[in-house]
Amino acid sequence: MVLSRFDQQKTKHQLFHVSLSLATILICMAYMQYRRNWEHLGSFWDSLIVPIVFIGELLKVLLAHFYGRIEDGVLTAKQRQKKAAYFTPREILGGLTLQFLCTLLYAFICIILGAPVLGNYEQTFVLSLLMTLLTVSPTVFLLGGGGALQVCFCEKPEFVTKCEDTALNLFKYNALGGILGAWAGSVVAPLDWGRDWQVYPIPNVIGALLGSALGNIYACTHVLYATVRMYMSKKRG
Amino acid sequence: MNFTYLFVLIWLAYLVCSGVLLFSRGFLLARVSKTESSTCRRLSTNPNDEYVLSPEVVNEIFKDVNASSSSNLCLPQKSKVIILVIDALKYEFGVYKDNLTEPPLPYENKLKVLHELLSEKPEHARLMRFKADPPTTTLQRLKGLTTGSLPTFIDIGSNFASPEINEDNVIDQIVKSELPMVFLGDDTWTDLYPRRFKRAYAYPSFDIFDLDSVDQQILKHLPKELASEDWQVLIAHFLGVDHCGHKHGPMHEEMARKLGEMNDVISSVVQQMDDATTLLIMGDHGMTASGDHGGDSDDETNALLFAYSKKNRFYGSDAGSDSELLQQIDLVPTLATILGVPIPYSNLGLINFNLIPDVPVPHLSKFQTLLLHVWQNAQQIYRYFFSYALENKRTFNVDEMDKLETEFILLTHRVQTIYNEAAFKSFVRDLNVHLRDILNVCREIWVRFDPTQMSQGLLFCFLPIFFAFLLINNSRSADYGKIFKAKEISYIYLLNIAAGVFGYRYFKNFSFKTEEQGVIFFTSILSAVILAFYTLKHWTSIANNWSSVKRFSHMPTRLILFSSMAVYFSNSFVIQEAKILSYLLGGIVLLLAYELIQLSARLDFKQKFKAPQFLRSTLLRLILASLLAVCFIRFAFTLFRCREEQGNCTDFATQQGFVTKKSGLSRVYISAVVIIVIYTTLTRLYLRSCGNLTGNSPNVLLARYGPTVASICAGGHILLANSSIKNVHRVHIDAMALVIYALLIVQIVIVSWSPLMTFVLPPRNPNVISVNGKDSIVPEIFKKMKRMYEGDDAERRHEIPVVYGLATVYSSVIITFGVFLSMVLIVLLEPRAAIGLVASMAIGAILLSVNGILRYRTATSFESCVQPTFTALVGWFLLANFCFFATSHQTTLSQIDWRAAFVGRTTGLGQSNVISGALVILNTFCGHIFFFTVYALLSTETFSLFALFPNLIRSNSRLGKGDSATALSDVANESVGFDMTRGELSLYEYEDVFLGSNFKVATQFIMLQGLKIFCSMLACTIHCRHLMVWKIFAPRFIYEALATFVSLPSLILGYLLLLRIHRAVDSLIKRINKTKVN
Repeated sequence: MVLSRFDQQKTKHQLFHVSLSLATILICMAYMQYRRNWEHLGSFWDSLIVPIVFIGELLKVLLAHFYGRIEDGVLTAKQRQKKAAYFTPREILGGLTLQFLCTLLYAFICIILGAPVLGNYEQTFVLSLLMTLLTVSPTVFLLGGGGALQVCFCEKPEFVTKCEDTALNLFKYNALGGILGAWAGSVVAPLDWGRDWQVYPIPNVIGALLGSALGNIYACTHVLYATVRMYMSKKRG
Repeated sequence: MNFTYLFVLIWLAYLVCSGVLLFSRGFLLARVSKTESSTCRRLSTNPNDEYVLSPEVVNEIFKDVNASSSSNLCLPQKSKVIILVIDALKYEFGVYKDNLTEPPLPYENKLKVLHELLSEKPEHARLMRFKADPPTTTLQRLKGLTTGSLPTFIDIGSNFASPEINEDNVIDQIVKSELPMVFLGDDTWTDLYPRRFKRAYAYPSFDIFDLDSVDQQILKHLPKELASEDWQVLIAHFLGVDHCGHKHGPMHEEMARKLGEMNDVISSVVQQMDDATTLLIMGDHGMTASGDHGGDSDDETNALLFAYSKKNRFYGSDAGSDSELLQQIDLVPTLATILGVPIPYSNLGLINFNLIPDVPVPHLSKFQTLLLHVWQNAQQIYRYFFSYALENKRTFNVDEMDKLETEFILLTHRVQTIYNEAAFKSFVRDLNVHLRDILNVCREIWVRFDPTQMSQGLLFCFLPIFFAFLLINNSRSADYGKIFKAKEISYIYLLNIAAGVFGYRYFKNFSFKTEEQGVIFFTSILSAVILAFYTLKHWTSIANNWSSVKRFSHMPTRLILFSSMAVYFSNSFVIQEAKILSYLLGGIVLLLAYELIQLSARLDFKQKFKAPQFLRSTLLRLILASLLAVCFIRFAFTLFRCREEQGNCTDFATQQGFVTKKSGLSRVYISAVVIIVIYTTLTRLYLRSCGNLTGNSPNVLLARYGPTVASICAGGHILLANSSIKNVHRVHIDAMALVIYALLIVQIVIVSWSPLMTFVLPPRNPNVISVNGKDSIVPEIFKKMKRMYEGDDAERRHEIPVVYGLATVYSSVIITFGVFLSMVLIVLLEPRAAIGLVASMAIGAILLSVNGILRYRTATSFESCVQPTFTALVGWFLLANFCFFATSHQTTLSQIDWRAAFVGRTTGLGQSNVISGALVILNTFCGHIFFFTVYALLSTETFSLFALFPNLIRSNSRLGKGDSATALSDVANESVGFDMTRGELSLYEYEDVFLGSNFKVATQFIMLQGLKIFCSMLACTIHCRHLMVWKIFAPRFIYEALATFVSLPSLILGYLLLLRIHRAVDSLIKRINKTKVN
């Protein structure tokens, strides 16, 4: 029973995915350690965090595509249709617009939650870009703009393949962890330690990264737990 | 009917409050005041007296200064004394700046006479910094200025009720020495010292808007008194400067005028006073840059002291006295020395010889005189300190006491061997150091705690919360009727009273300090046992219900709640609490929006996401409303008051460059008025659309016209009270506030008499066509034909009575009550703060509607539908706390808004301190009071929302397919199991569950508030030796304790209101049924 439910391909995909996420965040941390001074984290041109996260998310999507190729043979008509429309200008434009709107929404939320209204635009922009990258972008990259909207607002669409579904589940952990982490990052802001890394948006950026790392670790434990249970039952069998 | 729940609520509230009270008694411990008083043998210069100053006597004294015969001596009086107390005379006001390039600030160089006297006769005048001990409120300062002891923290609460001082003090000593005193000015003095003065011209310090009348009265009597010769001490206490600070701040033109007046007073006094008089001019405390006081910042503690003597020069700094700075407690021994009276028993200050006129004493050299004075002072302090230590054992550290005692014994030996001035100087230096050590030891110790009371307070606060959580939070609303039976509750009350009487009678046998502690201890223990018994009795059902709760549900909400409680444990969090709270509240609102998206988006859009549909959906509107709510929260940032620790706070800034306090921004006033009008209009529109403004029932009439009148009055009051127009009579401004108070009272009376806002349409006889002159007859005939054609339907309609506003029968009354309550709060608040209150109410309304829809979608039965979600509950709770900050309050003691005490009362109407206190409390805790009184809306609003917009039900229904053919009631029936379209009438139908779950919500709020105050108390306990405990943690605790004392009764009031409405609904329904049957 357990054996039949266990899907080796899916587990492999999940583990690779999670390790990619964790690696991205490790690289970010290593980069921050290398730069020592964290003040640049809020600037757009001077910080490599956003590009690193961007590349990490892209790699995850590529991974999903790689595993998706295996099941190419068993796609339904709708799924094929969706696949074919992936690189049309309409989809790309829609995806970009969606991400842009999302960045604006995050910036707005940052401001209504207490970021300065006048000034610190660059910092707010960097933070909201990072949030977009952690939450919406991977889904958009994977499914295109329209698909992402449907996944967010509708019941599970038919065109999502099994492999994409796996990735989407993991993206969810990533996104929730990122949002909660960025939100909770503010906890150090009021403290009177007088450190230079208490300045907005550094705690929130780091919080978002750590939060998504935690989310991934949580997902990873789930996968590992299922695997271990499978092996135990196999042994017993 | 269901008053059992009410009594359970009162019981729980009592338990939590008594725990808090006990803790505060232990934490904010007062110094044990000693009632002994000093006496002395007077060394007289009059040869007829029995103890005349002669060379033999002097020899005798200096043979052994420590002998009993030479202690307790009083040297002769040196001069008469005039004390001019100018309230809130800051040090900077008196400092003369020579080269002012810019135009001077309103307070600069206004007291020119001080400068002239100082430069003319530097030996006859002294200008010093007069350092007050916090709390810097007038009453506490007067106590400090007359007893010479350190103030204790708890005294601060008693500013409104001035009790007589029973500790030994310089005024009593003067009276005992039969030196006549005359007093003019602030009647706080005569409250503290009744019947001590030969003549007293006391005037109430009550009206802080009145800059002049007290001062003018003093000026009327002062010349006459100065001329008369029958006094030795004259005290005049001017209030104008302080009131000017409160009203306009130090940067206002009025301050220049008041200080100019004071300058004239001083120069005229200086002219009139005779040669043998010492003039002391002092401020009792300073003021912050905004003109307030009460805290312990340098601005508030640095007052001014100026001394002048015409003939005699002052002793210099030879005796080691500081010539720059005078501690306020040093005034008492100094004054006693000038007047030749014994130094009060509990004085801890040192004589400052810079203020004592150098009047030679016969047969004594100068240094001998000084030595005698100094040594008398030292002996008095030593006597007090060690008798205090002996009586209150374990107060002081034993090693430290030993060290101090050894030092003092060394000094007693050394004092015998002083025969020249050099030896005297070095001796005095050492002695002063030693006495200051004693002072510091006392200062440290008298902020001391009583651990037993504190721990008991913590325990007794925790136990009821814990058991209430187990018992009430984990039972079903319908079961409370079985758990709490009326009879049992009355037994519980009887038992508690018995325990209270027992504690009152036998508290000594259990070594409790006060009756209060005994009563609280026994009732709390007993109640905890009873609660535990109840919990055990119903354990099976509790365990069943508990097991059905998901283990990790509501995790983000719990996290937010946890963070809001964790604020108390760090001083930097307390400092930034306003922002943290708004961040958390914003988080709650966004969380609600997220839950809504999660739940309903998938229902709304099935398969395909369509933008137009999305744009039209309720979902988008709710999301936008939530964002709007967060925008309101963000907007409230501009209304927050800052505190000193935040830096760059204009209330405390010491640099120049900012304008007068509350600088008449007419923009703020106008927008406040506009917002108030919008608020009343919106509530009126809402009530009208619910059909609650139809008919002639008294509450309907009041709700129809009352808010309009109230908003006009509130707007008028705001504009007039803050305008610069001078010739508006104060009575007229007051009248507007009084109208609003009266409307609330009328509302309360009406609610208790006939609360309902419904209108029963009298049944019309369908067979008669009524036509009035204007209408044409044809349509009426057509209508009649149509009715006949429809047949039985019309008949049926005739049978069913039509009642307007029945669908919102509960919430309408609560809302109306809330409107009147909020109008009172608005008129009490400053205009800026009133905007904050309205913004908070808007946030509350959005919270209610989002929660209402969310609740309906997640509900599976009536019971779950009437119980608000945990997130909404926490959101409401945070909102009440957020409102405190949004209405420009801050948890510091110097930023209490005392102006509220005078709204509508400046003309001397009802000058009772109780009313003043109540008004200030209403102002400060307006958020708690308002939101907890109307808390029942959380469960009723779901129903009224769906009665108002029945279409919501269809769009929300889980089936979704709901084509127009199926009746709405069926759709609702299928999804939640009862007919939602009936609105709040369904609440009546399920009255057990409804009342039970409202009781549950009230208990949950009590638990949340209890948990909050518990965390605050715990933080104070943990941090009780923290550097910032008196500046940050203790004020925070005081505010939270007061908030608890206010919000628990508000909750009970809210529940009472609900019960009253329920009763009225019950009788209404019964009446209708009766007429139907007949």
